[in-house]
Amino acid sequence: MSFPELQLTIGWLYPTLMSTYGDRGNVITIERRAQWRGYDVKVLPLDQNTTAADIKAVDVIVGGGAQDRQQEIVMRDLQGAKADAMREKIENGTPGVFTCGSPQLLGHYYEPGLGQRIEGLGILDLVSVHPGENIKRCIGNLVIEVTASRLARDLAEMTGSTPYLVGFENHGGRTKLGKVEALGRVVYGLGNNGEDGTEGAFYQNAIATYSHGPLLPKNPFVADWLIQTALRLKYQQEIILQPLDDNLAVQAREAMFKRLKVSLGTGHL
Amino acid sequence: MGNKIQFIDRLRLGFAVSVAKSVTFIVQFLRLGAASVLPGAIARRIEPRLLELLSQQVKNGVILIAGTNGKTTTALLLCTILERKGYRIAHNSTGANLENGLMSALLESTNLLGTLDVDYAILEVDENIVPRVLTPLQPRIILCLNLFRDQLDRYGEVDTISKRWTKVISTLPAETVVIPNADDPTLSNLGQQLPQRVLFFGLNEPEHYLEAIPHAVDSIYCPRCGHSLDYKGVYLSHLGDFTCPKCGFSKSKPTLESSEWSQILVGLYNKYNTLAAATAAIELGVDEATIRDAINNFQAAFGRAEDLVINGKRVRILLSKNPVGTNETIRVVTESTDKTTLLVLNDRTPDGTDVSWIWDVDTEKLVERGGTLVVSGDRVYDLALRLRYSEKYPQSKLNLIVEKDLRQAIATALEHTPENETLHILPTYSAMLEVREILTGRKIL
Repeated sequence: MSFPELQLTIGWLYPTLMSTYGDRGNVITIERRAQWRGYDVKVLPLDQNTTAADIKAVDVIVGGGAQDRQQEIVMRDLQGAKADAMREKIENGTPGVFTCGSPQLLGHYYEPGLGQRIEGLGILDLVSVHPGENIKRCIGNLVIEVTASRLARDLAEMTGSTPYLVGFENHGGRTKLGKVEALGRVVYGLGNNGEDGTEGAFYQNAIATYSHGPLLPKNPFVADWLIQTALRLKYQQEIILQPLDDNLAVQAREAMFKRLKVSLGTGHL
Repeated sequence: MGNKIQFIDRLRLGFAVSVAKSVTFIVQFLRLGAASVLPGAIARRIEPRLLELLSQQVKNGVILIAGTNGKTTTALLLCTILERKGYRIAHNSTGANLENGLMSALLESTNLLGTLDVDYAILEVDENIVPRVLTPLQPRIILCLNLFRDQLDRYGEVDTISKRWTKVISTLPAETVVIPNADDPTLSNLGQQLPQRVLFFGLNEPEHYLEAIPHAVDSIYCPRCGHSLDYKGVYLSHLGDFTCPKCGFSKSKPTLESSEWSQILVGLYNKYNTLAAATAAIELGVDEATIRDAINNFQAAFGRAEDLVINGKRVRILLSKNPVGTNETIRVVTESTDKTTLLVLNDRTPDGTDVSWIWDVDTEKLVERGGTLVVSGDRVYDLALRLRYSEKYPQSKLNLIVEKDLRQAIATALEHTPENETLHILPTYSAMLEVREILTGRKIL
């Protein structure tokens, strides 16, 4: 059964400024998985040319990483009515996936290795600091177990097993969480700061993470959760997603678990 | 360039050189590889000023080649041109472009007394070590080919790299000649800021403009004021004819008129490499006839648009190590009529351990034209996913063959290639070395 009448608009934050690490892969994954199910999909860049009304019209938001200079340009633009629209969307439960630089923007501030502190939108209760050019970046494969309670429950229901995410982290900045819930706990890698074992953050329906790689192709159930949450909010009813053939993703995950010698027990996807 | 080296330095230099040469002999004798890194590493432990002591003996000067893509091919072309004029050249021809690789290249032409007897040294240098080696090398010419996003896991960001380059190049002697790519906003800006003599190279051929700016673009923002740049047209990635509507920054005028020059190999990126080498050769006093002749008779460096014949079938290896390079090698494939392509993705240190860049490649163009795509490498499933997600259709129409074993993948791809077609192989760096080893039965590094 397909839903040709279903429509999904993906809002993509500053594609030319915030797409340093293949984060476009997250947009592509949501877009294709919706297309493959017969939905009408639109990708709307949310950048200097868009208005607050455009931001309000999107169903799911994707944000990627940026170089420090680009991050500054973004923050100069994301002010006033546009900042308010962004805040309103996230507070009202619009789902989104924010990688690397964009969670820093949603937090209170980001302090680059060189130069001035960049103020964030303060939606997520977290701060990010770059410890300086001479401190090693956090780079490498990353495996986390989703612990954010509501998301963990939803994903476990969808997959029938404990939700583990596979990705790759590549960040200079270190993030400390305030009252916001962590996305998960680090099973392999460094995560938010390499110290407290947390990775990412989860607030309303916004997923913030250092896990790019990009995140969604190898964790397709997260893409489906975003789509399902977006459609539920938009159409105010439960939409059942048709299953897709995710054999390649399963093989990619297993190859990585095996290589990292991460033992997750049986039954995981 | 002076030949005066203090006696004690000479002694240590001689010792360092003889140890290094013994290492080279042993490595090659035991068939461990081409010894392009280890001898330099060992000699440098004995004489830390090795790079400086050797490079100051180069008679007519060191030519340094930096940039994300095209270093090896440009170096080889310039080398070929100068050799035609009878010059003797030291050159890191295997593409080992970190400090030890540079050292090993110079050591190869050095005798046991520590005397380096060459006219030129042509050294391709990894973009991140450029600031460290400029002062000891004191190059006569610096070629800055382009700056794209590459191996961010090792290096961080394009902006940071160009700032570091500008800072160090500014401190070099006034007679240093810098040859930057005029079409690259970051490098055009670098050239415009330097106190030295600057000769730009670039394209002036609007018929080669792309229809749209590709996704894998790094700097379409003005390097001076941060405003978005206006492009009259884009040749590849962010290389093109640009101006800044806010501060007036614009592309510098290239020394050579590109439309009057033919190019080496295939792909527009090789036109840039051709123009860069030609500009340098003219600056070194080589006549145009010799340069044009070298261009017309050029043979590829290994793995860079290299053509081989395997069991009667034509194979073309197109090194594909980052988004911009891969978009361009895909352009070569899609402009051909050949229908079989092998892509190999590794994630070892020389490739960059972060493979997320494949999502910045416009693989849709390759997938949409159909044919057989074989994938292999350490990250074969990541690559397969990228290709699957390039399709709009719920049922895959792609003839995608996922084969983890590279030897088998090559065999399968060759089987699928008809007699009169060429198999294109797009590997990352370490994968390219493996592919070549399998195809030719010989190690190159």
